[in-house]
Parts: sequence; structure tokens; C-alpha cells
Amino acid sequence: MHPSRETRATGGRVVVTGMGTISALGLDLPTTWAALIAGETGIAPITRFDATDFPTTFAAEVKGFDPTVLGRKEHRRMDRATQFAVVAAREAVAAAKLDPSQPPERIAVLVGTAMGGIETYSENVRLLLNQGPRRISPFAVPMAIPNMAPGCVAIDLGAKGPNFAIASSFTGGANAIVEGARLIADGRADVAIVGGTEAPICDIVSAGFAAMGALSDRNDDPQHAVKPFDLRRNGCVLGEGSAMLVLEDHDRATARGATILAEIAGMANTADAFHQVALPDDGEGLVRAMRLAVGKAGITPEDIGYINAHGTATEMNDRVEAAAIHTVFGARTPPVSSTKAATGHTLGAAGALEAVIAIEALRTGTLPPTRNHDNEDPGIALDVIPNISRPARIGAAMSNSMGFGGHNTVLIFTRPD
Amino acid sequence: MSDSSTTPTSPAAPPHARRVVVTGMGAICAVGNDVPAVWDAIKSGRSGIAPITRFDGTGYETTFAGEVKGFDPAATLGRKEHRRLDRYSQLAIVAAREAVAQAGIDIAADPTRVGVMIGSAMGGMETLEAGVETVVTQGPKRVSPFFMPMMLPNMASGNVAIDLGAKGPNFAAVSACASSAHAIGESLQMIRDGRADVIVAGGSEAPITRMGVAGFNAMGALSTRNDDPAGASRPFDAGRDGFVLAEGAAVIVMEELQHALDRGATILGEVRGYATTDDANHMVQPGPGGEGIARAMALALADAGLAPTDIQYINAHGTSTQLNEKLETEGLKKAFGDHAYQIPLSSTKSMTGHLLGTAGSLEAVITLCAMRDGILPPTINQVTPDPDCDLDCIPNVARAVQATVAMSNSMGFGGHNVSLIFGAASTVPTSR
Repeated sequence: MHPSRETRATGGRVVVTGMGTISALGLDLPTTWAALIAGETGIAPITRFDATDFPTTFAAEVKGFDPTVLGRKEHRRMDRATQFAVVAAREAVAAAKLDPSQPPERIAVLVGTAMGGIETYSENVRLLLNQGPRRISPFAVPMAIPNMAPGCVAIDLGAKGPNFAIASSFTGGANAIVEGARLIADGRADVAIVGGTEAPICDIVSAGFAAMGALSDRNDDPQHAVKPFDLRRNGCVLGEGSAMLVLEDHDRATARGATILAEIAGMANTADAFHQVALPDDGEGLVRAMRLAVGKAGITPEDIGYINAHGTATEMNDRVEAAAIHTVFGARTPPVSSTKAATGHTLGAAGALEAVIAIEALRTGTLPPTRNHDNEDPGIALDVIPNISRPARIGAAMSNSMGFGGHNTVLIFTRPD
Repeated sequence: MSDSSTTPTSPAAPPHARRVVVTGMGAICAVGNDVPAVWDAIKSGRSGIAPITRFDGTGYETTFAGEVKGFDPAATLGRKEHRRLDRYSQLAIVAAREAVAQAGIDIAADPTRVGVMIGSAMGGMETLEAGVETVVTQGPKRVSPFFMPMMLPNMASGNVAIDLGAKGPNFAAVSACASSAHAIGESLQMIRDGRADVIVAGGSEAPITRMGVAGFNAMGALSTRNDDPAGASRPFDAGRDGFVLAEGAAVIVMEELQHALDRGATILGEVRGYATTDDANHMVQPGPGGEGIARAMALALADAGLAPTDIQYINAHGTSTQLNEKLETEGLKKAFGDHAYQIPLSSTKSMTGHLLGTAGSLEAVITLCAMRDGILPPTINQVTPDPDCDLDCIPNVARAVQATVAMSNSMGFGGHNVSLIFGAASTVPTSR
């Protein structure tokens, strides 16, 4: 226990020293990244429930995942969203090669999720409706509550520092990175394991998004259904998975000889305070978040070499996001891609998954493409890296996230050198 | 953990350059629909627990709860608007409006510097259950387009921001029954760090639904004293048999001290310290010996630059479950040593029930009222002392004590622990 360290603020430079993902493209980060830059997609017909009568019958499901890797007994007590978070956190922590002497009280865990254990919850409601209140599992509540993802990651890794979940719909994973970086900069933790997770491919979520007209209904061609920034875009598709990152103070990471993957140079979180689900035409809140993040990074917009867009492939999102990017970057907009045509929209995990993707782009010098881009939309007028990944050595990458409720979160990553 | 006799007393200079004060409070819960009504009931020892009316409780193991009474959402929020808000969002907006009105702050003057953080353990449960029922009985194409935005657990935070026009940092902290304590603590850090000048922070919960009651019953977590609802929540008493599910919202306006002074705001108190820890032990059981909550208390004292002997009142988590109070008592002794016996503490859940994600912020409001009026609220329903819970829990009757520094603790499923420290308005400078 180190109470005296609580207020020991650091120099404020926060770096990423480990990353892990599980997504429709693969069960770990190397597989996910290879598939992404190869232009593949993880979108296919739904197998998680019988979607026959649903307006949209396809989604981006994680394939070939064996939850018993979490323990024969243990995995049954975790909702799928929690299982994903634990798997991704294990990969991230293994990659970071944390010092075995690291005090567990100084390791924080923050996980963003839009809806937590929604599958568990909805199954138990169904049970209640069919069989009455006394047939509910004692694990129903603990498995369903959104904070059990960070709770179980902490149990799995023995992390005893600050711990909570962040719900901000589709910016949750990005917000967890922001708040984790702040915990490190404020000296409240030495290590923050942060990210997002979501397992939304169940009947009620699919029905709910379809009712809003948010999902693409190109059921005859799932692989080409999601078309971010394309003139013929007609909605997003649900995706599942998790991405987790290990954050540390720059000087501490350097001192222990850690491999630094990127620095979190800038970040911001704003609210539109405009409408529950609609966006203001000018994207005011996102514009403000991008400008705040650029200012915090101490760079200019020209320094941004790549933007991983929120790019959900709904008419409104892509139009407003493009307008906001034009407002911030003026005549010189950087290359922008939406990787949601490959991963699906992983909701609360999206901000973290796309942060990892932006960091891999920065590290490897390969910008991932926007898949399914066939028809230019004159209202977008961005270089969306159509269909084929592109080599480009860049110094800074931005990742945008926006969510129902009017949340906007922007992250900027720079190369460690 | 700490030997109070050798710990230095509070330093003259506060440990943080930007101090954070409370300038507005709002609450709606089973004992009252605004802060004056809530505080009047709490200091009088009145319970708000009664038989469930929100659904037909026949066949459920527990048939009572802490429901908000006499709340007309259509009249308060608009005939059309209220239908697009889950009850937990409705309650959050009501409490936030009360808090902001009391603060007298003009958010439109500088909206981007005003954040909102409304924690919730569960979000729009009633909406979710109705949505699943629609899928089951009428098919997927009959689900409402408002289902998703009404159900999500961040929407109270989003809806309060829309209602107030607050454009600063915004998310919902979610940590089960510590959610709104986290919201207040993280808001404190945000204002200290300069990311906002004002944050409307708190929690909201509307868990009195079929699944809410059945789910906690399945865990054996709820009191089943169906013949005596008002006597059912008895934290620290030997006869405690589980918590009482309750609904409501509580919100405070947190403001950087100079910002509040510059606009001539009435200061209600100060948020002086915060810490959060995790047990990393078990999904639903607190860690052995109350280690995690004890560590949070010690870290919160360090954060506030205070000694254990400075704490004059503790609003305990005190859920009325056997395990919680046993371990919380152990944690208090670990954090405060023998001095634990000298600190009056109470669990106001004995009157309000357990508001889950709202509990921390409601108990923050109660703690601030207690210091304002020099009255420490009681723990009611104390009949049989429990030798494992031998601290001074202010049994049954409020006590006139002028506390100026008080602590509020929260713990949640998932191993989350939060300790917050508040100061009375009298300890805040009126000019700088």
C-alpha cells in the first residue's frame, strides 16, 4: 500500500506499452491487423441467434472463440462481453511484459461498454416471462451489470487500483483510454489497463437498432453491406469484440525497459447537448473535441497523418463527421478511413479497437482501408483510403468516436521517438 | 494501516491548487421528492420503504421496496418528452434541475466548461424488460425506435446535458453500487485537473422492476421481511437479512472554488478527498477483512491531506446484508484503528433503501445536509446489537453534533470501493 503516492503527479507523458484485441477479424491483435490491412471483413450471416425474422440478418461475430480458455467453471459466470475483455486484457498485459514487482494496488482497470451483459440480461428476462421470478440464476445480475468487465479483468490479473466501467454508448472504449491516461498523469496509478468491450449480437439489440433504421439491411450481400462514406451507405452493422491497452507513465516505462508502442499525445471528451441520437449538422461537439485534442497535443492539424474515423456508414454520421473534419483541417484533410466495414460497429469497444488500429497504422506505416467504397459521395469529399491499404509513414494519428447521448471523444497518438 | 495518535493533523494549506465546492443539491427518492423533504425525513428517522406498486409483486420472494411516491413525470417533463425517457433518466433530470436551480448558475454563459457525470448501475431496466417482452410476444419488428436510447446506461448523463445545455466532459461511471460515488470522485479530479470548472455529478437508478427484484432475490441479497417493510432495512443490526431495493436520483453541482466565489454563489460544502480501490477478489463478495475499502479510506485521507482523527462523521455503505456490515466494520477498524470507536457513523439506507448506483450521491447530499445543520442522521431499525458491528452507528435517533469533516463510503459488486471526504461550508474561505 502506498497512500503517499496518491498525489504524486508525473510529468504527464502517458504511453502505450501493450495491446490486445479480439474481433470478428481475429482472436488476437496480429490476426486482426493482418486481416484488416488485407482488406478482409468479418461480417457474415448471424449465428448467435435465429435472425430469420429480423430486418438485418448479418453481423460481425467473433469466430472460433473458445471461452473455456478462461476456466471451465469461470467462463460460465461471465457474460460474453466480460469474456472478451478478459481475453484482450491478457494479451495486452502479456505484450507489455509488466515488471513482476509492480504493486497490484497501483494497477487500474477501466473498461468502456455501451450495454454490458445484455445477452445475459435479456435471456433472464425471457426466463422470467416464461417461468416466473423464482427461476432466475443467482449469476444473472452480476453477469449482466456493465461493470463486471473491469471487475473480472481485475480479478483475473489481480489488479487492485482504481476500477470502474465507463458508459458513454459508442465512445466508452475511447473514454476509458482518456480517463486511464489521466489516472497515470495524476499519479493515481502506475499502470492502467484500459479499453472497451461489447457483445451485442442478440435479438433485442438487433431489433432495437433496426427499429431506429441504423442497420444496413443488405441481407443478400453481408460482406459488401457496410459502406462508410460511400454514396450508397445505408447503415451500420453490429459487431462484437474487445480491445485493451496497457498505459504507463513515459519515464517509468522507459526506466523498466518497456517497448513503447505510442504516446497518447492528445485527448478530449465533449458533449453536444443537442439530441438523444441525432447530430448537429456542423458536428460542433466533434469539432471542439478534435481541436481540444490537437491543442493538448501541442501540434497543429497539419501534423495529423491519418484519422481513424467513427464512420458508422449511416447517412447522418458520415455526413456530419466529414463536415467536422473539413472544419478542423481546412483544405488539407489527412487520409481518413473507417474500419467498421471490416470489424462491424463494436459499440462500446469501437473507440478502443480503433485506437489500437490507429496505433498499428502509426507503428507499421500502413494505413488500413475503408472497405466497400465504390461510389464517391460529393458531400464527403475526403480521401477515405478506398478498398486497399496504403503505405504511409506518419507522425501522428487521430481516432474519433461519437455516441448516442451526444458524446464525442478524440484521441491523438504519436510515435514514441 | 494507520495509527491516528502519531499522524500529523491537517496541514494549513490544502493539497490541491484547485479546490472543489458544492453549490447545489438535488434529490428524489423514497423519503422525499426534493432535498428539503429528503433531509427532513432522514433527520427524523422516517422510512420510505413500502409494498411494491410499480409492478404486481405477487409470487416474488420480496414484495416491498423504496419507491419514489407522488412523482408525475408527464407534468414535470412534458407529456411527449417523458415517454422518451426511461424512469431512471426522468429521475436524473428532476434531481439535476433542483441542484442547478439551487446553484443559480447560468450554464449558457460558458457551456463547454460545464460537464455532466451521472452514474448508474443498471441504466434503463424497465425499458429493457419491456423491449424483450415485445420481442417475445410481438416479434422483433415491433420494438420501438426509442428502445435503444432509452435503455442505455449513459443516457441519464446525456439527457441531463441536453436538458441543461452542458457541453463539457460527459460520461456515466458504472461500478454497481459505487457508480455515483465514482461520478463525484472523478468529477473532483476533472475539476482539479482543469478539464471543467463545473460538473453536474451524481447518480440515478430505477431498478424496481420484475427482473430487478427477481435477480437480487435469486442472489439472496434482498430482505424478505414482507410483513414489516419499514423495519426491513436494518444495517449493523444482528437481525439484518438483506438490502431493500430502492429507486431515485441525487445530483450535486460541483464547482471550482474561485469560480463559485467569483459569481457570488452560496457554498454548501467542499469535496475534499477521493480515492478508489478494487478488491480483485470475487464478483460479488467484498474482499477479506475489508482490505479494499480500508485502503480507499486511507488513500482518501491522504488525498485530502487529513488525518484519521479529523473525520467526525461517516456515512457508511451499510446495505443491511450480513456480509457487508461485518466486512465494512473490519475495514473501518483497519483504517481508523481504535479511533473507529470514537467516530459516529450511520447507514441512511435504513430509511432510503439501497438505491444502487445512486447510493453514493444520495449519501453525499445527506452528509452535506448533516454538516450544514449540525445533525447526524440515525441508523434506524436497531433492535439487536451485533457483536461483529460494535461501532457507534447512531442507533434510531439523530444526534446533534456539529461535524465539519465527514466521510462517505461506497462499495459495489465487482469489488469496487470508493471513499469520499466532504468539508462543511464553514471550512471554506469566502474570499481569496
